Amino acid sequence: MADIPAVSIRDLRKSFGALEVLKGVSFDAHDGDVISILGASGSGKSTLLRCINMLETPTSGEIVVAGETILMKPGKRGQPEPADRKQVDRIRSGLAMVFQSFNLWSHMTVLENVMEAPVHVQNRPRGEVKDEAMAILAKVGIADRAGYYPSHLSGGQQQRAAIARALAMKPKVMLFDEPTSALDPELVGEVLRVMRAIAEEGRTMLVVTHEMGFARDVSSRVLFLHQGQIEADGPPAELFGAARSERFRQFISRHADG
Amino acid sequence: MDFAFYTEVIVRLLGAVPTTLELAFVSVAIGAVMAVGLAMMRQSRIAALDMFARGFIFVFRGTPLLVQIFLIFYGLSQFPAIRQSWAWQYLREPYFCAILALALNTAAYTAEILRGGLQSVPFGQVEAARACGMSGFTLYRRIILPIAIRQALPSYGTEVILMVRSTALASIITLMELTGVAQKINSETFRAIEVFICAGAIYLAINFLLSRVIMALEYWLTPHLRAPKIAAAPATNGVAA
Repeated sequence: MADIPAVSIRDLRKSFGALEVLKGVSFDAHDGDVISILGASGSGKSTLLRCINMLETPTSGEIVVAGETILMKPGKRGQPEPADRKQVDRIRSGLAMVFQSFNLWSHMTVLENVMEAPVHVQNRPRGEVKDEAMAILAKVGIADRAGYYPSHLSGGQQQRAAIARALAMKPKVMLFDEPTSALDPELVGEVLRVMRAIAEEGRTMLVVTHEMGFARDVSSRVLFLHQGQIEADGPPAELFGAARSERFRQFISRHADG
Repeated sequence: MDFAFYTEVIVRLLGAVPTTLELAFVSVAIGAVMAVGLAMMRQSRIAALDMFARGFIFVFRGTPLLVQIFLIFYGLSQFPAIRQSWAWQYLREPYFCAILALALNTAAYTAEILRGGLQSVPFGQVEAARACGMSGFTLYRRIILPIAIRQALPSYGTEVILMVRSTALASIITLMELTGVAQKINSETFRAIEVFICAGAIYLAINFLLSRVIMALEYWLTPHLRAPKIAAAPATNGVAA
């Protein structure tokens, strides 16, 4: 079988008004890759991640998910927009996302949060989904919190619930948008341990992060974004060892605590 | 105190309570459906729909309910076209006119309450649903409306209580609801204090019960805003941590 990248990005550009945030980004993510996307704030790393599942609409460029190109068309004011909303919904249901601010649904319990998309988007049988959901909650270590509402959990527990919600969709690729940035320092560890465990299962992950330890020790590849372009790209050993990019060397020296 | 008179008045007034409740609940129900439509029009970003909803809300919030009732009951009958149309069989009935005026009025207020609720839905939670591939009706039904309604419920409770009180205005167009009957007893007996104290007490009782129902509804819908009930956590199917 030909190797079809799980996600393939071609010359992606994104502008907000006059500000060009992404200036032509291209890369492929293959099955099983754990890619850490690093960069200073404003480098476009979150925007890049959010373009992959169309939470931001790219200004130009191509996004191919498991061989399927997301179709675009010119919108009313000439700006591009997805040509087929159904296609976007279908692709999104295979690309689970974990947000910086968790974004759990506040009116549902943890278990209901985890079951929501499998039952109401993927239309899978409730009984089967519930058993899986409980197993996933046990895996992320919060099975005893299944009946709690998000507001009753600590930040770390909320983020683990959000990771469980993402896992329940059986996604082909998981997108993490600064998953530990909103957490108290003592809660970061529990979330990183869960992410490491997921990575070791061989899942395809794209992780925007400031956690140098995770990038260096867990990911199989590191992308370093600088002013909307990929400045460095390679295995962590290579980049963190003899970093050839002066900018990346400066960046990691500022984040030496990782 | 003349207990016999009080008892007689209360018994006669209680006979009018079903009409009052009917006016309130039928118009609240119709108004709620219209309000969902108006709120969606306001949110639709389609200029014509938005302008229509804005205009409707502007007119019905900005004029007295009594004037609206007069316009509908007395005003519409001036037009021969309306008197000859199929709608006349309804529009000549005070009951129908009162319901129509009350419903249009509460629709305008409720639409704004609901719009406030919709705007308060945290964007991140909507985005999380979109990121799962949820959209359109499912997104509204499962995420946006449940959150918006919980936000809007306290203000909406006040609106429903206001509506119960507003039904008193229907007595002006000869409708024999609570206030209408009270006025009739008053004109027979000239004992205004006793009669209207009884009427006021019945409104108070209705609205007391109503506010309890709304509180219970709020309580039931917002377990996430209370301290967790540890014992009430659902069974974990033996997959304990």
